[in-house]
Amino acid sequence: MKAYKYLFLLFVSLGIVSCSDLEEDPVGLLASPDDFFQTTDNIQTAVNGSLTHAINEKFWGRKLSVALMLRSDMVDLASNETRRVENNELTTLANNGMISEFWLKTYQGIAAANQAIKGAESVNVPAEAKNPVTAQAYFARAFYYFHLVRQFGDIPYISEALTPDNTAQMGTIGKTSAEQVYENIIADLQFAKTWLPNTQASRAIPSKAAASSYLALVYLTMAGTNDTANFQKAFDEAQDVILNKGVYNLDLDPDFQNLFNADVIDSSIEPIFALDYNNFEAPDNAYDQIAPMTGIRGDDRNSGGGWSVAVPSLEVYTTWNAQDYRRAVSLDDGASINGNLELYTNFTVSGHQFAKNRPYIAKYTRFPGAFARGNARATSHNYSMMRYAEVLLIAAEAAVEINEPEFARTYLNEVRSRARMGGTTLSSGVEVTVTGSAEPADHTGTVTANDVLEERRLELAFEGKRWYDIVRRQLGATAFGASGLEGVKPDFSPNDYLMPLPADELARNPNLLPNNPGY
Amino acid sequence: MNLKAKSALFAVLFMCISAFAQENLTIKGKVVSSLDNMGLPGVNVLVSGTSNGTSTDFDGNYQISAKEGDLLQFSFVGFVTKSIKVTNKTTIDTSLEEDTNKLEEVVVVGYGSRKKSDITGAVSSVTADELNAFPVLDAAQALQGRAAGVVVQSNNGGEPGAPINIKIRGNTSISANSSPLIVVDGFVGASMPQANDIKSLEVLKDASATAIYGSRGSNGVVLVTTKKGKSGKLSIELNTTYAIQNTANRLDLLNADEFAAYQQDVNNNIAITSGETPAIYTQGNANTDWQDLIYTSGSTVNHQLSFSGGSEKINFYASGNYFKQDGILINSGFERTTFLSNIDAQVSDKLKLGLNLFGSRGSKDGVATQSDGSVTVGGDDVISLAMRFAPDKGVYNADGSFTTNDAVGDEVDNPYAVASQRVDETVTDNFRANFYANYELLEGLAFKTTFGLSTENDTRGVYQPSTLQITAGGVGGRARVTNSQRTNILSENYLTYNKEIGKGDLTLLAGYSYQKTKTDVFAAAGTGFISDAFSYHALGTASGLLQPDSYLNVTEIQSQFGRVNYDYDDKYLITATVRRDGASNFAANNKYAIFPSGAIGWKMSNEDFLADSETISNLKLRASYGVTGNPSISPYQSLARFSSIYASSNGETTFAISPEQPANPDLKWESSYQANFGVDLGLLDNRITLSLDYYNIDTKDLILGNNGIPEYFGFLNDAILTNLGEINNRGFEVSLNTRNITNDNFSWTTDFNFSKNKNEVVSLINDADLFGDAAPSYFSVDDNYILRVGEEVGLFWGYEYAGVYQGGAVPAGTATLANGVAGDPLFRDIDDNGSITDDDRKAIGNPNPDYTFGITNNFSYKNFDLSIFFQGSQGGDIFNLTDVQLNNGDANTTRDYYNSAWTPTNTNTNSPRVGNNSNREISSRFVEDGSYIRLKNIAIGYNLPSDVVEKIGLDNLRITLSAQNLLTITDYSGLDPEVNYFGASGSNNTSANTVQGFDFGNYPTVKSVNLSLNVKF
Repeated sequence: MKAYKYLFLLFVSLGIVSCSDLEEDPVGLLASPDDFFQTTDNIQTAVNGSLTHAINEKFWGRKLSVALMLRSDMVDLASNETRRVENNELTTLANNGMISEFWLKTYQGIAAANQAIKGAESVNVPAEAKNPVTAQAYFARAFYYFHLVRQFGDIPYISEALTPDNTAQMGTIGKTSAEQVYENIIADLQFAKTWLPNTQASRAIPSKAAASSYLALVYLTMAGTNDTANFQKAFDEAQDVILNKGVYNLDLDPDFQNLFNADVIDSSIEPIFALDYNNFEAPDNAYDQIAPMTGIRGDDRNSGGGWSVAVPSLEVYTTWNAQDYRRAVSLDDGASINGNLELYTNFTVSGHQFAKNRPYIAKYTRFPGAFARGNARATSHNYSMMRYAEVLLIAAEAAVEINEPEFARTYLNEVRSRARMGGTTLSSGVEVTVTGSAEPADHTGTVTANDVLEERRLELAFEGKRWYDIVRRQLGATAFGASGLEGVKPDFSPNDYLMPLPADELARNPNLLPNNPGY
Repeated sequence: MNLKAKSALFAVLFMCISAFAQENLTIKGKVVSSLDNMGLPGVNVLVSGTSNGTSTDFDGNYQISAKEGDLLQFSFVGFVTKSIKVTNKTTIDTSLEEDTNKLEEVVVVGYGSRKKSDITGAVSSVTADELNAFPVLDAAQALQGRAAGVVVQSNNGGEPGAPINIKIRGNTSISANSSPLIVVDGFVGASMPQANDIKSLEVLKDASATAIYGSRGSNGVVLVTTKKGKSGKLSIELNTTYAIQNTANRLDLLNADEFAAYQQDVNNNIAITSGETPAIYTQGNANTDWQDLIYTSGSTVNHQLSFSGGSEKINFYASGNYFKQDGILINSGFERTTFLSNIDAQVSDKLKLGLNLFGSRGSKDGVATQSDGSVTVGGDDVISLAMRFAPDKGVYNADGSFTTNDAVGDEVDNPYAVASQRVDETVTDNFRANFYANYELLEGLAFKTTFGLSTENDTRGVYQPSTLQITAGGVGGRARVTNSQRTNILSENYLTYNKEIGKGDLTLLAGYSYQKTKTDVFAAAGTGFISDAFSYHALGTASGLLQPDSYLNVTEIQSQFGRVNYDYDDKYLITATVRRDGASNFAANNKYAIFPSGAIGWKMSNEDFLADSETISNLKLRASYGVTGNPSISPYQSLARFSSIYASSNGETTFAISPEQPANPDLKWESSYQANFGVDLGLLDNRITLSLDYYNIDTKDLILGNNGIPEYFGFLNDAILTNLGEINNRGFEVSLNTRNITNDNFSWTTDFNFSKNKNEVVSLINDADLFGDAAPSYFSVDDNYILRVGEEVGLFWGYEYAGVYQGGAVPAGTATLANGVAGDPLFRDIDDNGSITDDDRKAIGNPNPDYTFGITNNFSYKNFDLSIFFQGSQGGDIFNLTDVQLNNGDANTTRDYYNSAWTPTNTNTNSPRVGNNSNREISSRFVEDGSYIRLKNIAIGYNLPSDVVEKIGLDNLRITLSAQNLLTITDYSGLDPEVNYFGASGSNNTSANTVQGFDFGNYPTVKSVNLSLNVKF
């Protein structure tokens, strides 16, 4: 009898451990992408994922935005960090540590957009219901590829989500020509323009106006210096936005400073497409660091001042009309350091080795908003990627090229007139009201392409636009010549218009060889 | 119980009954153990040459009849048999010495035990004495230097409660964990009990020993057995230790005046390069020694009370332990209470039941050190801040707020503020219960079932108050609470069969095991609190919410295992094991894995030609080969996965997803193929014992982030895993134990162990170099270590320093960085293109030591004993990241650097000018030899004479005075040669294989002096 009792115990103990099938059944994890997409909201969630890559430190948060600034003639470098020096001096190597970071981050945004587009196929609702959301993914994909094609020219072009089936084939593709990439971008933007609503709840959600404005800029870029057909398309597309500004709820903001104020930018009607910065500390560096990178060392503002890395040359300030309200908004020529009001001529009083006696970029540090952390990191400042003033200037530049001088002058002067209106800003940290002035005066003669480009340089200063302007209009010889704002850059050559594809990427897929000329 | 043992038992019983009187004296006495003066129950007492015998009772007392001139023989398993001639005295007390001839020692192996002489694998045993030579928080610490082939290192120097890293026979992986499997009293994956409760600790090293643990065996296995009660009278033991601790070393940094002069020199030198007017450095109005402010004198108290005893049927062991350490860094400390109870009951002849219970609560007060730099340019790292921070700043501003570093370098909070204000508390609760039943089904056939449950509950709260202006001032304080709950259920059932067949002895084992582990983690955080006084306890009042997180991981593993041991004629030994593991975390196409091993042994000394040798008392040859696995696949790692990322839409926080990992149904575990050859030699009646082992481990199918997959796929490389890559470890281990002098009053023994491991990367994806960063992120270092085929793992990667540029023509084959002027560093221009670029980097140092060793000398004279334990490492390089930062110009620096730096009048130097153009370059300038020999422990003990002890009613009383880390002989210029910084690229476990030898912000190793009291009654 006793033995049976123990035998019974034995079976009980074995019974506790019935065999398992060892299948994994994760709870709380999105382990099956294909099953995720059920509703249009799910598509929106995937689109949000794609666009969130753009706010990352590796993209607009720092690496790309600062690289674009440094490469241009508007922002000089106050640092001896190699990867920055290479961008500022145009001595970029194929293993540049900034490029390799935004290369990956850009493609992560693209992969997320591709996943959203693929996922949308399995959402079982009519096209009319889901396409307005899916169109945001097409916009996001175009947004990222437009950056890539301007930086690198020919690039690997991926428009499918990765699966175990296409992995091998994707690993060996060659480069897609820049022309083809532009065609794809236009196709994506046209799909987006077709399906997106005229306006959205936020300027950070792609709208029809955003797709249309980007189309204008894409055509303008493709036009280069002399492609009239594309200038015509750029003009038509920009004109379309301008004519529909009521429908799109767009106009210039009366106070230029509002465009660079985290607290009010979201209620301005000038932004057309913005990046939506989180108002909290997101992990994985998904936050903004432009303000500290451009800030003044020892500045008493922003819990610790700035890091003084991207600092314009003195000429940027001295050649800018002092009456132009935009200069007062764009640059800080005084600051409180150690409790004392200091003019820029004495900024090195902070004693920091990279402090410069020059005015500093003010667009990011002045009103970083309530959520900014120390050094004004991690702002909730929704930076404009495209705003109405740029559409006016696209139209003006294209008008010059297709011989529509009246339009060119009108649109250029519209931008200038806002700059004359003045507004409320900070000077040396003190609030001042700048009344309207006569400068910049209306352009009266024949507007040249150079006039518009100069206007873009000032209106869009430090917004990551100038480098692309230099590239598309081939301005390097002047911009980096002896009369350039940063003096002669001896290492500049036309090869620098394209950045190198990351060297390790070419090693991983030799079909991408050769690298761009000069690397 | 085999037949031999059984018959022996019967013989003893029979003798007890058959003892009868002659015209004899009645001899009485007590037999005690020489080890602890405790009475030994069950000692066989025999009148030599007769069948007249008895055995001692629970207290060690015996009574026997014998004639004058008879020889009384006292024998007991594990002790040296002793004979005493009967004189006219009727009381014969004696003490038995433990058999230091360890050959008959029983060694615990997986799912059983073997006589040490029958072991065919490579197994090191560490004794309770060694584990308790000085007080440690984690018993793993006590392993350092004690066993050949075992390398033990704290993850963070002397930090109280820092995780302890054990590595057995090198790094057998690149990206998976290299820590061994810990098995406590049969519970797989248990947490280590505290050292005082450990009876024995075995380290299984070769595949023959570890393959029974299958897919979790390739990093080696540490088998821990806790103390059990013995039948006999109740024994109470009290251990008390008090210790004081201090920093072993500090850096010699500039004071305020020197610092101001240095900063002006830096500014002047920068101006030479830039051509601008030098900035004027304005000296602050204080003179602060930041190291003095953050370091203090630490202390440890450790109290342990244990009870053990039992009757014939039931015995028990129960203990309580309290440990408290106040760290040498202000506000750091650890406090822990532990309880352990083991009860075993022989319910019937055939059934034995037992229950082990373990519970502990540990509370850690942490201070941030070893920062990866991601928080405000390292502004959370107290140790490095104390080195960097300007000494001409005071602790407080005039308004009472803490100063920040706003003049030089990155703006950071001051180290005293961070050390004193930041709250970082971790409370860890461990509970484990393990029940077993052992039933003898037939003679020689036993069934054992165990069922265990363990939970580990870990809560960490961190609060950065708003008084830390840079880290948390802007947001009004930042709090985070993380909780992780781990539950582990284990059921194991196995049959053991033992049979003697002629001259052969066969043991079979077959079993089934199921284990389920569930990890539940949540974290919540917020910023902007009404008051700093709320610490992290009022997340609900946060005005800003940070990303909360929670996740659940479940893994299941079910296994079948078996083992055959065959011993023929006590000369030839064969062991074969196999385990088949199926695991939920294995990928769909590779759910099951089989891990076999085999070993042979030859006891040559039992052959006729050696049996009579006077010199060679033991000689055994061993050889083994087997395959084991590494638990290298995390749960859900083979499934396609989206990451959830926080996004914002129209000002609202929202949830977004992005592809994170594609499906990988073919992913496999990593496998180690290990061969081991060993010799065990005993000379002169085993006064000298020597073990030599050679091993070769090929680890294949290494799981690597597929860096061969282009980034335009839009995935991080490490998200696309693949089984490519192979690594080899081969090495040689020596373990030598000698009894140099053994007299009645004086003895001297020496234990020496030596390990040499050589690792080599055999293949990588496309055999392409793998690089990684091990520097704080604000160093902006791209790659500073490398894995390259044909080389050892984790070589330092950087420029080769070629001295100081003296101006004029640059020496051939060298160049400076951009804009170099006289005084700037020169580097070898490998591609000879006139400038220093990434192409001029090469391997500049090897952190892997050539060998490590430990040597212990134990002396005893009457009641005194002395133990001296040295431990060392030879040939590993250290990369001194601390110097990189301190020589950068934007921080304080060492007096040594400032005084030796190049100036136009001090050109004969190897140190570049201050404020040079290097910008934290990674070069051989900062590579140093990290060899060291350390007096790890020196201890003097005194046992009160037994007659005195008995008078005061005790069994034993021992006082020990010991000191740790009193002396370290090294050429390394940094604080301590035992460095373990992981940098921005890694967390502790996964990077430990590849990131080695970097020094930055380590919690300093401490010198400690202890006074311990041990009382038994």
